[in-house]
Amino acid sequence: MVQLNLPQNSKVNKGKYFKDKTGSKNIRKVNVYRWDPTTGENPRIDTYEVDMDNCPSKVLDILNKIKNEIDPTLAYRRSCAHGVCGSCAMNMGGKNGLACTKPHAEIKGDIDIYPLPHLKVKKDLIGDLSGLYKQYQSIEPWLKNNSKSETTEIHQSPEDRAKLDGAYECIMCACCSTSCPSYWWNGDKYLGPAVLLQAYRWIMDSRDEDRKERLQKVADELKLYRCHTILNCTNACPKGLNPAKAIAEIKKMLATT
Amino acid sequence: MENNPLSPHIQIYRWHVSSLVSISHRITGIINILAITLICIFFIFFSFSEGSHEFIKLFLQSIIGKFFILGITWSFSFQILSEIRHLIMDFGYGFDLKTTKITGLIVIFGSFILTVSIYLIGRNLF
Repeated sequence: MVQLNLPQNSKVNKGKYFKDKTGSKNIRKVNVYRWDPTTGENPRIDTYEVDMDNCPSKVLDILNKIKNEIDPTLAYRRSCAHGVCGSCAMNMGGKNGLACTKPHAEIKGDIDIYPLPHLKVKKDLIGDLSGLYKQYQSIEPWLKNNSKSETTEIHQSPEDRAKLDGAYECIMCACCSTSCPSYWWNGDKYLGPAVLLQAYRWIMDSRDEDRKERLQKVADELKLYRCHTILNCTNACPKGLNPAKAIAEIKKMLATT
Repeated sequence: MENNPLSPHIQIYRWHVSSLVSISHRITGIINILAITLICIFFIFFSFSEGSHEFIKLFLQSIIGKFFILGITWSFSFQILSEIRHLIMDFGYGFDLKTTKITGLIVIFGSFILTVSIYLIGRNLF
């Protein structure tokens, strides 16, 4: 059921205001979503004044600066800081992306930072992605081949290998799935762009011998056809991939085989 | 996990051309169903009496009536253009970010151009 409003316990209140103490003239206001699981209070938006003269170029640098210099209680996931691990996926300036690759100069006005949309929040900017991981598991993302030999390779031509371009690069950061309104309203059944892109990746793999079963598995009114080409996913993908096209290709394969 | 809050979604997510076209496609779809029903009711009234014919004529010539006609003309125009866009996408084309933006803008502006054209054709001004 489509629920446009947030539940009562999720309504966001105004939080604390951290005034700049460095005396810098180049200040930006950063609004960050906070929720502390130990207090039982509603989430709040804390506002930080950040000295931009001494801050590197990415949104993650701002968060690190806040955590190191202003408020050490802020919680967020991060690891590689090079757009490879997908840990720091969050909503910045109203759009999902990786904090480590998103330049803060691209965001106009105050910088609003929220967790990935429509997830159960664990703390501050950390959302619970276990549902998505379970769905990922459900498409069985591993090679299925009946070859008994353990010594010979399974060959793949360069042309067949090229079919995986644009699918294998996915880092499962969940930016696309959590940007998708269909996934917000039907996230329990609809697989979402991230998982469907991976489903496509294994369907397209020439070495995989389970193609038919894989296709049949996703051919479901709710699992696949809840994609209405809103294209928030493709717009959000920090790796420049196109989950919407992959979903359309799956639909096409189902219609033509 | 029961008491954990849900992170904000539609309240904070920024709109772009494709998402606007998508939601408008749904809204115009619903408007069209209501409009077609209403047009059918009009025709049933026509068959009843001359008086009701006069009444509907009066309604359609009023400002509200004209707004109604223009409104559903736009709604149909938008739906048709957006449906063509969907059809092309169903063939697997036009998923490039730039292309989706261009086709989305064509749908939005085209719907207004189509509305005006249909209006002008209807009034024999073309």
